[in-house]
Amino acid sequence: MKKLTQSLLALSVASAMFTTVGVANAESFAITNAKVHTSTEQGVIDNAVIIVNDGVITNVAATDKLTSFEVDSVIDAQGKIVTPGLISSMNILGLVEVSAVADSSDARDKKADITFDASYGYNPKASSIAYTRKGGITRNVVTPAGGEDIFAGQTFVADLSGDWDSITQANNAVVVELGANHEGSRVIYTQQLVNELEKAHKALTKDSKDKEADEPEAADKILNQILQDKKPLVVAVERASDILIVLKLKQQYDLNVVLVGAADAVLVADEIAKAEVPVIIDAMRNLPENFDSLHNHLTNAAKLDAAGVKVILSSLGDSHNVYSLRYSAGTAVANGMDYNAALEAMTVNVAETFNINSGQIAKGKVADIVIWSGDPFEYSSQVLTMFINGEQQSTESRHDKLRQRYTTPSDLPRAYTK
Amino acid sequence: MTKMMPSLVMIAVTATLMGCTQAEAQDPKVTINKNPYPSTYQVLPRQKTILKNATVLTGVGEKLLNADVVMLDGKIIAVGQNLAEDGASVVDATGKWLTPGIIDVHSHLGVYPSPHAESHEDGNEMTNPNTAEVWSEHSVWPQDPGFNRAREGGITTLQILPGSANLIGGRGVTLKNVPSETMQGMKFPQAPYGLKMACGENPKGLYGSRNQLPMTRMGNMAGYRQAFIEATEYKRAWDKYEADYNAGKNVQAPKRDLMLDTLKGVLEGEILIHNHCYKAEEMAMMIDLGKEFNYHSGTFHHAIEAYKIADKLAENGNCAAMWPDWWGFKMEAYDMVLENVAIVDSVKNSCAVVHSDSSVTIQRLNQESAKIMHSANANGFDYKEEHAISWITSNAAKSLGIADKTGSLEVGKNADVVMWNQNPFSVYAKAEQVFIDGAKVFDANDERYQAQSDFLLGQQ
Repeated sequence: MKKLTQSLLALSVASAMFTTVGVANAESFAITNAKVHTSTEQGVIDNAVIIVNDGVITNVAATDKLTSFEVDSVIDAQGKIVTPGLISSMNILGLVEVSAVADSSDARDKKADITFDASYGYNPKASSIAYTRKGGITRNVVTPAGGEDIFAGQTFVADLSGDWDSITQANNAVVVELGANHEGSRVIYTQQLVNELEKAHKALTKDSKDKEADEPEAADKILNQILQDKKPLVVAVERASDILIVLKLKQQYDLNVVLVGAADAVLVADEIAKAEVPVIIDAMRNLPENFDSLHNHLTNAAKLDAAGVKVILSSLGDSHNVYSLRYSAGTAVANGMDYNAALEAMTVNVAETFNINSGQIAKGKVADIVIWSGDPFEYSSQVLTMFINGEQQSTESRHDKLRQRYTTPSDLPRAYTK
Repeated sequence: MTKMMPSLVMIAVTATLMGCTQAEAQDPKVTINKNPYPSTYQVLPRQKTILKNATVLTGVGEKLLNADVVMLDGKIIAVGQNLAEDGASVVDATGKWLTPGIIDVHSHLGVYPSPHAESHEDGNEMTNPNTAEVWSEHSVWPQDPGFNRAREGGITTLQILPGSANLIGGRGVTLKNVPSETMQGMKFPQAPYGLKMACGENPKGLYGSRNQLPMTRMGNMAGYRQAFIEATEYKRAWDKYEADYNAGKNVQAPKRDLMLDTLKGVLEGEILIHNHCYKAEEMAMMIDLGKEFNYHSGTFHHAIEAYKIADKLAENGNCAAMWPDWWGFKMEAYDMVLENVAIVDSVKNSCAVVHSDSSVTIQRLNQESAKIMHSANANGFDYKEEHAISWITSNAAKSLGIADKTGSLEVGKNADVVMWNQNPFSVYAKAEQVFIDGAKVFDANDERYQAQSDFLLGQQ
């Protein structure tokens, strides 16, 4: 496409393109006239321009500060809200088609342990992935469900383009599950973690003295990454007493800990904030599901954020309706959470925690961008246009095909309507 | 006249035979108490109340602006603009929205309560494919904190159903969502019982794994049919006993059978069917099953594929109770469309209901409906709040057989009302005040009206 400079002509072309022409193959494009929620310290920029080159955001600024730029195409956002693509986490999206169909589900195995590399099971063509894009979600931290071991395995990051190469980071965090034990004592879980960390720590100390140490086993290598490389250790835990033990381990071994679940986190919010430990919570939880989670409440996200905890919102335990994550942000806001904090809890906070180069509308970030018809947290709003790696995405899934089939009049059986 | 002769002879003979029994004194008539665990519900303290100057969704299709609702003695006595306050407690509802109390036709609160302790898992008698003899009301733990959370989301009435493991899982009970120490204290007076039935994967999966019937969907059908054949015979036996006794004979009552009592109630139209049934082809067969045994097939719950047979459901008078978006957890939930409720609703004489089956989403059925309305409107439909609210009010009341009592803001109906802080179809909407029979049962701004279960009291 011929290079355009911003002008009245270009804008008129752009507004036509907004609804009619895709820009999937554009090398560079601008989104103009956007109300940009940057998820950066810049906050919200009214009437802004975003410039994307080769899938990366190269500039974002108020229109009056960025008067001239050269791009292949321009998209007029018509004053709509633009956000970073949302990043979901802690689900098995792409590892499952139908939960109860055993051979379509690859998220768990009783033999799974710390070495369980869930990325081998990923299917970018799973029908839930296109569906999840309806919710403005562009990237996801896929998290295995594990097996009998306390370590559920390792997470990986995938963009939701559905492309074959959509896994961007394999084995980027380790998941460990502590707390209530249905068959015995939680002590066994905690002690196993403590013992593994101590053993690995000792071996590392010894190795540094003995250069001819044996090549470590796969599991040991991963423990070493946790100890030496500060690979995130995602700890699924609910009760405050367990959270405090985890914080202590973090301090003792200088771990990069992330809490998930954390029903009781509000009881020890100050300690969590002080330890700079991110907390992944489901903002919809407000029932005492068991004796570890008596403090679930709709105000927890707001309270943790107010206490200075880095909050990440997730639809825990759901992999088919991850799309609805934005509504839980709305619920968190309805229950006291700051609006921008709620957006950050689905964008930059996830990105920073899992070392993902997106989640912000900022120079140098991957161009995962969503243009919304209205408030992104509202039921009345839809995704208008969505980019992953700067490429425009469809939000159509087989669910739409089914709707179309059964709402299109036909004299023939529906099976002929395709 | 000659033709009459044999008959006359017969009559004479019969009269002779009957003469013997007539001389015998009748034993006391055996009757079945149909309400052995009666409601003891007491309305909470109330006064005449006027909610003033709100946006009112009546539940039956209307949206009134700057309107008032007056509640007296548990009933709605007026709905309209500039109504007289005389003697009423006045609630300024300017900027607020009023709807009928929200009704969930599918809940397991109390029978699968929080916390999910094994000792409280009382919702599914998974010991036989047909357990029509069990009644969910006998499992309800009234201290389930979920009742309070649901009330805070505007739920005033809910049906507690047994689980779906069995072909026929037992009776459901309709409750008013008031705090009480007993199930009877919550029981909705004069609401009909429901009967939980289940199609598809759950019964055949559970019993098939035990190597017994049903192992297949055809096994499922055989199981229902066998049960209703027995029920038909049982009913005939009781009808005959009734007729004979009334004719003065001293006849022996049929042997009482708790399981068949319930199915007889279905055949007599006193107990309404609530059928967990996802798939189009199965719903169609359940409709025929009802016709085969002369009962109405009732409401299809979950009904993921209701959109495929929306015409058939409306034609046969079935309600379909649906989620907005649950799918993918099993094969029978694979063909979900976000517009299922909207497609079902768009057919004339339809009865589309949004249900929860969840202690979480029961807290926001208004927003579950909002999901549907807005998804549908983004794809060619044009639903408004005043219509969509019927999915969780008047249509739900119809499904439960209580539409003459609640489910709409109409004069004469029970004063079950929710005052929302804004449009209830917004993600930011919260119920501010909730009324059941004209009594305030929840107030978001007044701790005195925020019930807490015994279980959570004093927990640290």
